[in-house]
Amino acid sequence: MSNSHHDHDHDHDHAHKPMVDEITDFEVLEIALRELCIEKGLFTAEEHRVFTEYAEQIGPTPAARLVAKAWLDPQFKKLALTDAIKACKEVGVDWLHPTGFGAPSDFMAFKILENTPTLHHVIVCALCSCYPRPILGNSPEWYRTPNYRRRIVRWPRQVLSEFGLQLPDSIEVRVEDSNQKHRFMVMPMRPAGTEGWTEDQLAEILTRDCLIGVALPKPGVTNNVTPLVREAIRPASL
Amino acid sequence: MTKKTSVETFEVLNNIVERDQTWPVMTERHGVENPLPPWKTSLDGLCDALDQTCTSKPPLTFKERRDEEDELSASLYTSLPYPENQLVALAHSLLKRGVIDETELRERLALIRQRLES
Repeated sequence: MSNSHHDHDHDHDHAHKPMVDEITDFEVLEIALRELCIEKGLFTAEEHRVFTEYAEQIGPTPAARLVAKAWLDPQFKKLALTDAIKACKEVGVDWLHPTGFGAPSDFMAFKILENTPTLHHVIVCALCSCYPRPILGNSPEWYRTPNYRRRIVRWPRQVLSEFGLQLPDSIEVRVEDSNQKHRFMVMPMRPAGTEGWTEDQLAEILTRDCLIGVALPKPGVTNNVTPLVREAIRPASL
Repeated sequence: MTKKTSVETFEVLNNIVERDQTWPVMTERHGVENPLPPWKTSLDGLCDALDQTCTSKPPLTFKERRDEEDELSASLYTSLPYPENQLVALAHSLLKRGVIDETELRERLALIRQRLES
């Protein structure tokens, strides 16, 4: 055998990022639960593989692309607001078959909520953690917490301010509660200072948080916000 | 959310909690930057596969799984970060219902660790 596999010219000295060279109990536990569930016939290894692949490939990119397109194309915006499922197909997301064979916990009516100068939307799932996963990816940790879920419906302005979003009283805040069959996403208003921008440029500032409604798009801001997390006061601990 | 939390505990899970090999501890120890552990998407797949099977029927419906995850994360497993608390809560729910047995789980954990370390 020749040494031809070493005849390429990539840099063998490139630095490798550090890795966790330790097998954790949690890694072992995840495998154990999975194997036992498969052995007991709760699901197959193939079903698990497909769902895992789905979890790995979803993210907020199609949602950002959809809103950026809508900002640039009034016809597409109209479609997004009247038939969101159809508009999603134009950015490569098929809600009816997100995993290739459907995802029952994700099927739904999907609606895009348009912000206006006098109306701001924010989404939540007060019951559990329903989220528009096919187009926005997995929900952030804080979205899943009872803290966010309980408080955003009662004191939306206070919770939004914890994300750094202060809205004047002249803007109505509407909290849209997802449920098993309905998922929502926010279409924020295009901010000033983005005149002449391309779709790619606009998509960059459409962060996950803007599409949930806990932040507003702003030129130069392409990262999500880390909220000031407050512990919920639980009656049990009083 | 006023439902009482189950007081049932499982030694096999308590031991895991006590050993505290959580991802923040690992990243600190090994200088890693990934915000989430590598098994996270597999856990997502596990939950989705389970939810598909048990949409509204035993042994563990989607709503029960999520409700118990919230309760347990705020009580028994309050020291664990996410997604470790999600994983351990799921194990707790499956043990509580007898879907898996504690001895069976303990043996399987040992077997898998042996396999991974071989």
